[in-house]
Amino acid sequence: MANDWLLLFPETIRALLKALPAALLDKVEEVRVREGRPLEINYAGRFSFIAGSGGLTLAPAEAYKPGREDAHRLLDLISNHSLYTMEEELRKGFITIPGGHRIGLSGRAVLSGGSVEHLRDITGFNVRIAREVTGIADSVLPYLVDRSRQRIMHTLILSPPQQGKTTMLRDLARQISGGGSAGREGSRPALKVGIVDERSEIAGSRRGVPAFDVGPRTDILDGCPKAEGMMMMIRSLSPDVLIADEIGRPEDAAAVTEALHAGISVVASAHGKEVAELARRPGLGGLVEQRMFERYVILHRSEAGTGFRVLDGQKRGLLLVSPGERSGGDLHA
Amino acid sequence: MLKLFGAVIVILAGTLAGFSRAAQYADRPRHIRGLIAALQRLETEIKYGYTPLPEALRRIGEQSKEPLKALFLEAAREMSPPLDRTPEAAFAKAMDDHWRAASLKAAEREILRQLSCTLGTSDRMDQGQHIGLALQQLKQEEAVAREDQGKYEKMSKSLGLLLGALIVILIF
Repeated sequence: MANDWLLLFPETIRALLKALPAALLDKVEEVRVREGRPLEINYAGRFSFIAGSGGLTLAPAEAYKPGREDAHRLLDLISNHSLYTMEEELRKGFITIPGGHRIGLSGRAVLSGGSVEHLRDITGFNVRIAREVTGIADSVLPYLVDRSRQRIMHTLILSPPQQGKTTMLRDLARQISGGGSAGREGSRPALKVGIVDERSEIAGSRRGVPAFDVGPRTDILDGCPKAEGMMMMIRSLSPDVLIADEIGRPEDAAAVTEALHAGISVVASAHGKEVAELARRPGLGGLVEQRMFERYVILHRSEAGTGFRVLDGQKRGLLLVSPGERSGGDLHA
Repeated sequence: MLKLFGAVIVILAGTLAGFSRAAQYADRPRHIRGLIAALQRLETEIKYGYTPLPEALRRIGEQSKEPLKALFLEAAREMSPPLDRTPEAAFAKAMDDHWRAASLKAAEREILRQLSCTLGTSDRMDQGQHIGLALQQLKQEEAVAREDQGKYEKMSKSLGLLLGALIVILIF
């Protein structure tokens, strides 16, 4: 699995990236390719350009500037030489490739009837590298378990983009599905987990088989729209815990409500900084108002690492872990 | 006696050359037809099957007869990891390696080369249009090839024999 994402770049860019120190390469979160502009990487919350002669630089003038040929090759590689299979993805503006890496695209939008039908002249790529950080959920999970009833509490994970929501969800899925004898907390039964993986990011499925370890009792609906997928899961796969990424639309909220009333625990993530902010959003506001969620986990990250805050349903703080307090690598959203 | 034997060999060689020339005239429309069928299948795979290009070419290759089989399989292999070449480069390589085996001419090669530049780079509708255009051009070539076959196939055969006879006469 180590750095398999390097293979999706054309030779010129791949050679520049490979020349970087291995320790840095392991921390890279995003590689940004913009045609005719400097090649950029983001790592550990910072950014840098890559110099044409190799190495890092902050001066745009010294940086390597990918040309038309690079952009063309990159698009060809990430679409498996078959852009026509990606029409739906182009409408949404991103492609997820096997391994769970997500590539955001920018170009010129082609409209049809007022909505985006297609992207053409694609010249901007944001390659977000998915990483598995086993154990990232260790300190959070004990607060999400309702020991008296042997279940997981309804949880919403909140953070701005790129702070580690998906990584957190992935590790939660693995631990919940695997059960455990979490030491002082006593043993936890292994539960059936259902992941609705609309963007193929949580499990990074390749032909339906997860590339990441998401636990032994986990079912994945890959590429399925969340609202519909959650309903399908409830009806046919009888999960104990439903996991979904980035809920936000009103229909997602309706599906979450449905799941909650069906006695299924929901662990979901959403963009946001504070619970109070969330209450004002049209889709999720209702869920917060009605105190549907029993736990909120708020992630915040700095160069030192990732910190958590866990709040209960009444928004009272339960746990605060500052960045850098736990050992382990950086997160990726 | 030896002279007679030599004469027979010369006439035989001439006849064979004529026949092989005639076979080329007969094979060309057949191979173009095969190419047309292959591209029609490709169109279906792209428009209705959403099959990725390397996979589609592999399937078509397996269903086609030689020499097109080797051509498509090679192109599919070039496009797959670890080589991962662009469709354009993959087809160029495959045509370099296998074009000789087919009785196809430069016109068909140019049609396929132009198509390979656009394959996989646009949405399904656009892909359909490009393949449709290539099909139309191939059908024209096929008509020309059939005409040539009618005109020259028999003629090549008799010309071979006659050329052999002419050499024999000149030598004697």
